[in-house]
Amino acid sequence: MALLEVKDITKRFGGLIAVSDFSLSVDEGEILGLIGPNGAGKTTAFNVVSGFYRPDAGEVFFGGNRITNLRPDQICKLGLTRTFQIVKPFPQLSVHRNVMVGAYNRTNNRAEAAKKASDIIDFLGMREVSSVTASSLSVAYRKRLEIAKALATDPKIILLDEAMAGLRPKETDELIELVRQIRERKIALLLVEHVMRVIMSLADRIVVIHHGEKIAEGEPHQIVQDKAVIDAYLGEVEINVAG
Amino acid sequence: MTRDTSTRISIGSLRNWLSAVLSDWDRTQMTLCYLLVFILALSPLFIKSTYYLGIIILTVIYAFIGISWNIVAGFTGQLLIAHIIFLATGSYTTIVLYNTYGITPWVGLLASGVVAGLLGVVVAFITLRYGLKMDYFALFTIALMVAMRTLFLKWDFVGGAVGMWFRLIDISFSNMIFKTKIPYLYIALGLLLIGLIVQYSLYRSKIGNYLLAIREDDDAASALGVNTSFYKMMSVVIGAALAGVGGGFYIMYVTFVEPPQVFNLALNVEIVMAGPIIGGLGSLAGPLLGALLNKPFIEIVRGVLAGGRSGATLIVYGLFLISTVLFMPQGITGVMYRLYLKVINRFNGKAEEVS
Repeated sequence: MALLEVKDITKRFGGLIAVSDFSLSVDEGEILGLIGPNGAGKTTAFNVVSGFYRPDAGEVFFGGNRITNLRPDQICKLGLTRTFQIVKPFPQLSVHRNVMVGAYNRTNNRAEAAKKASDIIDFLGMREVSSVTASSLSVAYRKRLEIAKALATDPKIILLDEAMAGLRPKETDELIELVRQIRERKIALLLVEHVMRVIMSLADRIVVIHHGEKIAEGEPHQIVQDKAVIDAYLGEVEINVAG
Repeated sequence: MTRDTSTRISIGSLRNWLSAVLSDWDRTQMTLCYLLVFILALSPLFIKSTYYLGIIILTVIYAFIGISWNIVAGFTGQLLIAHIIFLATGSYTTIVLYNTYGITPWVGLLASGVVAGLLGVVVAFITLRYGLKMDYFALFTIALMVAMRTLFLKWDFVGGAVGMWFRLIDISFSNMIFKTKIPYLYIALGLLLIGLIVQYSLYRSKIGNYLLAIREDDDAASALGVNTSFYKMMSVVIGAALAGVGGGFYIMYVTFVEPPQVFNLALNVEIVMAGPIIGGLGSLAGPLLGALLNKPFIEIVRGVLAGGRSGATLIVYGLFLISTVLFMPQGITGVMYRLYLKVINRFNGKAEEVS
């Protein structure tokens, strides 16, 4: 059985249907890419899965548990956590304390949480900024901090919402390498990303969402040739046979 | 010879201890607090005037109550403006228990904490249930204060509009009634010490880390497994219970309570908010440092400007508050922290991050 199973979720905001009858599943240790044009409903789907929104219809299962109406913190306890597209560090706290908040998810012991936070900060190569307040970090470090906090909760899956947006090519490459290492820790990832290079090099499978609906699913090389996907990204090609 | 080495070792360990304390800003703040408590404890040796001793006692009570608000507003970032409702509840609990039932204030203070804590549960439950945040939360607490004032004015059991005098008969330790002010000072300092330790252990614990995370970003905290509603409620209850105990002792010392006096936003600013804000909201030493500046300042202004011009006191005090917020937005501890970083950097000879 899949680790994360999203079944036919629908989310409306007033008259607008942000996500409709959307399904996907992620296996253990798998990296699933979720792509789609702006406003396609990726972030809404994320918010439903991670418990920030309640769906109007449909169910979400995680590790065999129905998590549809659970709060984000309860879902996090089960092993699903997320990062935010617009990064949300705890600005006035030190990087170490930021990560400790995540580490306390699995322990009540201060020393244990501190140790774990230090390990994860080392893993993400942030040791030299460990005691700095998060508000003074660069964009690249802020993106890493998001991942560090999520990793510290000991998740089985992380939902990464555009973790690489706004980074320079070199920084992106470093982060791609880190994501690979995270996968080696048997942590599954659901990746929302606009940078195609990232999706293509990381994802095992890709789901494409457009106007809130799934229009394609498959391996990266299949997706790039899919007509519906090309239409969604480039606009439908009008074939005009003029004489 | 042996003596030499032993002194050298003790000096060495003292230096180690000092460098350990000074390398950690939180511990530096706490050491400063304990030092100030110690100095305040010695103050009766130098200050014989009961008037000045009275100011010192009130300063210590203000610091304790400031800590209770600092936990809610400073750590968790909840705009609990009318925090004085908990102080008032504690005041009434202590005084009713003693006057009506003859229960000693030693027990009364604990009961005050419990009753105020329960009120905290009610406040937190209602605001969380209906999703009142920030300004709405603030308005709710103010509305509740006004409602409680009206209720207490009509409630004869607690003295109604007449108020209640603390029955100052039976001077004895067991009734917490003393002839001189000095025992009050030591009880107040005991409370302050408890408050400081509670605040510090909270700050360092998992709970404290969660409270700070909630203040910084609610959603991010909840994505990391923080049950934000539960911890918000917890911080309100802890703050309320401490304020209740503080209120009980405050009324022991002031000896009189009536609704317009304790359900009062002006007193709320003076006793609850001014200290932590002047000292640095959310910092460990803030409430104490703020109270040390706040209370004596009010008293001096009152002393100088009293006598038919009572409005002048408020104008000067208001200007004082405005200018501290304007020139020290992070409070006294904010200024101290910047100095501290400079000193540390000079010692370490490296440029550490100054935010």
